[in-house]
Amino acid sequence: MSEDNVNISRRSFFKGAAMGILGGTALGMGLFSYSPFRNAYFPPVKRKMADIGVCKSIKVTNISETSWFENAVLMSDIKNAGGLLVNQYSYNWPPFGDGTGLGNGSYEKGIAKIKHLLPNNLEEAWAITEKLSVSPQNAGGFAALIEVEELDGRKRKFLLDSGWSYKWMDECFKREGIDEMLKNREIEAFIISHEHFDHFWGIPVTYKYDPTITTYIPDGFYPEGLQYLQDAGHKGKVIKVKPGLNPLIPGLATFVFAVPIICRVYGEQAFYANVKDLGLISITGCCHFGIVQFAETAYREVKYEKDQLYGIYGGLHISPFEDWDPKYDDLVLSLGKYGFQKIGCNHCTGLLCAKKFVEAGYPVVKGTARFRTKENNYLGNGDKIGFGIEI
Amino acid sequence: MERFGTHYLEERKLVQRWPQPISAIVSLVLTLAMFYASWWIFQDPRGYMRMYTPYVGYMYTRWWLIMLIWMVYIFNYWPFRRSWLENTHPLIKGVVLTAISVAILWVLIRGFFEALLGNYGIAYFNPGNLMKLPRMTEFFALEYASLACLMFAAIASWLSPAWVVACEEVPWQDMNQPGKGISILIATFFLSTLVFFMTMHSHMGILYYPWQSFTAITPPYWEKFANTVSGNFHVAWIMCCTVTVWIVETIWERFPFKLIRTNWLRRVVAFFGIIAIAWAMHFFLFFAQELTWGPAIRGTRLINAPDWRWLHVGEMAVFFLVPALFLNFYCNNWPRRFSLPVNVLIRTAITIVAAALLYIFYYKTSHDFLGTQKGFMHEQQFPMIPTIWLINIWLVHHWFMDNWPAWKMVPKTADELAADHAAEQAQIAEVRWNPAMGWGLGVGALCGVAVYFITLSVLPWLYQSITVIKK
Repeated sequence: MSEDNVNISRRSFFKGAAMGILGGTALGMGLFSYSPFRNAYFPPVKRKMADIGVCKSIKVTNISETSWFENAVLMSDIKNAGGLLVNQYSYNWPPFGDGTGLGNGSYEKGIAKIKHLLPNNLEEAWAITEKLSVSPQNAGGFAALIEVEELDGRKRKFLLDSGWSYKWMDECFKREGIDEMLKNREIEAFIISHEHFDHFWGIPVTYKYDPTITTYIPDGFYPEGLQYLQDAGHKGKVIKVKPGLNPLIPGLATFVFAVPIICRVYGEQAFYANVKDLGLISITGCCHFGIVQFAETAYREVKYEKDQLYGIYGGLHISPFEDWDPKYDDLVLSLGKYGFQKIGCNHCTGLLCAKKFVEAGYPVVKGTARFRTKENNYLGNGDKIGFGIEI
Repeated sequence: MERFGTHYLEERKLVQRWPQPISAIVSLVLTLAMFYASWWIFQDPRGYMRMYTPYVGYMYTRWWLIMLIWMVYIFNYWPFRRSWLENTHPLIKGVVLTAISVAILWVLIRGFFEALLGNYGIAYFNPGNLMKLPRMTEFFALEYASLACLMFAAIASWLSPAWVVACEEVPWQDMNQPGKGISILIATFFLSTLVFFMTMHSHMGILYYPWQSFTAITPPYWEKFANTVSGNFHVAWIMCCTVTVWIVETIWERFPFKLIRTNWLRRVVAFFGIIAIAWAMHFFLFFAQELTWGPAIRGTRLINAPDWRWLHVGEMAVFFLVPALFLNFYCNNWPRRFSLPVNVLIRTAITIVAAALLYIFYYKTSHDFLGTQKGFMHEQQFPMIPTIWLINIWLVHHWFMDNWPAWKMVPKTADELAADHAAEQAQIAEVRWNPAMGWGLGVGALCGVAVYFITLSVLPWLYQSITVIKK
C-alpha cells in the first residue's frame, strides 16, 4: 500500500469521524435529553429536616399592605424613568428627592436634604421631601407585626418591614399601637424583608420609636441601603443574614433567598413558623422568589408539624402592578397541589390574582377593605390573621 | 441588466490591512466601542433613552436584526447599484444603509404593527388599545404590545434567513430584484404569521382576564408537554432555529446539507434538518439546566420555573451565535486547512468553548457594564438583547461596511470567482463515501454519544466548581 493511500484512508477516517461526532452528539441531545430516561439523573430529594422548634400559635397584624396607592402613578414613574431595572435610588422618589426630577436622583443628594432630621423630626423631613420628590402622595408602605406564642405561653413580637412614606407609616403605626410597642421595647427584632422602597425606606419611623432595635437584613444590600440604616438614626445591632435558614426563636426562622429583584434590588428574606399540631406557616413580605419555591424549600430544609404546609400570609408577588403573564397561571394552577389550608394574601399578590385564587376554590381568608385597602379578597390594612389562635 | 447588489457578498474580496490577529482585534475593539456607546444611548437603564424596559428595547433590537437580513439576504441591497456598493466609502455606506434600515424599522413597528394591525386586526399590537382594558397601566400596555411584536420577530428572524440558507430562495432564485425580495418577504412573512398564531397567540390570549378562549386556544396545547402555559416553550426552539440557521450558514458553510446533490432533497433536508438540530439543542439546554439547578417545578418563579427555563434555553443558544459569527466575520472562518467536516468540527468546538466563557463573563459582569439586573434569573434580565444588539452591529460592520478599517473590499476577478467555485466543488467532492470514512463515521458516532453522556456527567460538577455570580 502506498503512503498516499494510507494518508487518504486516514484523512477519510477523520472526515467520517468528525461527521460522526457531530451527528452522534446531536442524536444524544435530541433523543435522550427530554425523554423520561433523563429522570435517572435526578437523585431523590434529600430532606435536611432542620429542627426550628415548635410554637403554640402565630398572629399577624397587617400594619399596612398598601405600598403605593395608584398603580398607574407608580408605573408611569417607572416607565418614564427608564423601566424596571433603573436603580431605585435614582428615581427621585421620596424620601430621597432632591428636586432634579424623575430618574435624576441619587441616595447621596437625597439624604443630604433630610439627614439632619432623622429619625426624630419626621414631619419636617417628610414636608421637605414632599416638595423635592416625584409622586410623594403615592408612597405608602408594607409592614406587619408577627406575634409568636411559645409553648409555655410566652408571647414574642417581631416587626416585618417599615413601609415607605414616613407620614403614612407613622399613621399606620399609631393606628395599630406599634409606636407604643416599640417605645416599650416589646418588639424584640426588626426584620427587613428586602431593600425595596416600599418595605425599607420608611425605617426612620421604626427607629424614631426604638433606635436600638436589632435589625436583620438579607445579605445583598447595596452601599446606599447600608448607609441609610445609619443615616436613619439606627444605633443598634445590624445582622446581615446569609442565604439559607436562620432560626430566630423556637418555632420561628427566617430564610434568605439570593434572588435579583426589580429596581436593582438583590436578596429577600421571609419567615417559616412551625405551629404545634398544625404545620408550617409561611410569612412573606413580597415573596419575589415565589410562594411555591418557598414551600418547596421548606420541604427540603425544615422539619414541621404533621409534615403539613398549613398556611400563608403576605405578599405573594404575582401581579403587583395588575399585569398578567401565563407563568402566573402556572402558579394559580399549581398552588392547590400543596394543600395550604389558610391563605392570607395581600400587597403584591395583585387583585386579579386574589380573584383567581378565590375562583379556584382556595381557602382565602377575606379582609375588611378598610384604611385604603381596595378589595376584601385581601387581608387589608388593620386586618389580622391567626394560625393556632382564633382572631 | 443592472444586478444591483446581487451576490455582492460572495463576489467581494475582503483584504486584510494588517496581519491576524491584529485585524480581528481592531475590529473587535471598534465594534465593542460602538456597541457600548449605542447601548448607553438607546438601551442602558442608566443611559439616555433607556429602551431596555426591557421589551421595548428588545422589540427594536430583534426587528432591526430582521431589517438587516431583509436588506442584505432577501433584497440583496436593492435598490443600491453594484457600482455604488463597490465604490462608496464604507463609512458612508454604513451610515446610509443603517439609516435606511432604521427608517424601515420605524415604519414597520409604528405603521404596520401598531397602526394597521393594532387598529384593524389584533388589538394587542397597539398599546393605545390595550390601555382601554380595566386596570391596565401604560407601562404594561407598551410592554405587552412590544412582546407580541417581538414574538413575531423571533419567528421572522428564523424563517427569513432559512428561506435563503436552506431553501436557496426557491422558486424565485432566478428572479431579478425587487421581485425576488418581495416574493421571499411575502412568503416568509406569511409563514411567520401562521407560526405566530400556532405558537405565540395563545400566550397572548391568556394575558387577559378571563382567558380569551374564543379567540385563542386556552389552555394551550403545549401545556402538558412543556409543563407551562407560557409561550416561552416556543420562544426557545424558535431561537434555537435562528441560531442553527446562522451556524449552518457561517461556520458550517452549509455542511452537511450541501453534500446532498439532488436540489429539492437538499433544500427539504436542510430546512427540516435545521429544525431537528434546533430541537436537539432545545431539549439539551433545558436538560443542562435541570442537571445544574434540579428539575423545574411548575408554579415557581425565576430559576426553577419551567417557563423561565425554556426562555433561558433561547438565551443560552444566543451565546453560541456570538463566537460563531466572530469566527466567520473576522477570523476568515478559521481553520480552513483540513477537510470540510474536520474544519466544521473544530469551529464548532471553538464556538462551544467560547460561548461557555462568554456566558460566564456576561453573568459575572453585565450588571456592572450594561445596567441589567444581577443574577441569572430575573424576568427583566435578557441576555438576548445585548447579544443580538452586538450581532446587529457586527452585521452592519460586516455587510454594510466591509469590515472597515481592518479590511479593504476589492471585487473579485472572474478568475478568482471561478477558482472559489471550483474549490468549493472539490471540497464537496472530497467528502465521498469509502470504507475508511464509514469506519470513521461509526467510531465518531459512538464518540459523539459518549461526548454527550460525559457532558451530562461533567455539567453538575462544572457548575459546582465555578462561581459565576457571587452571592
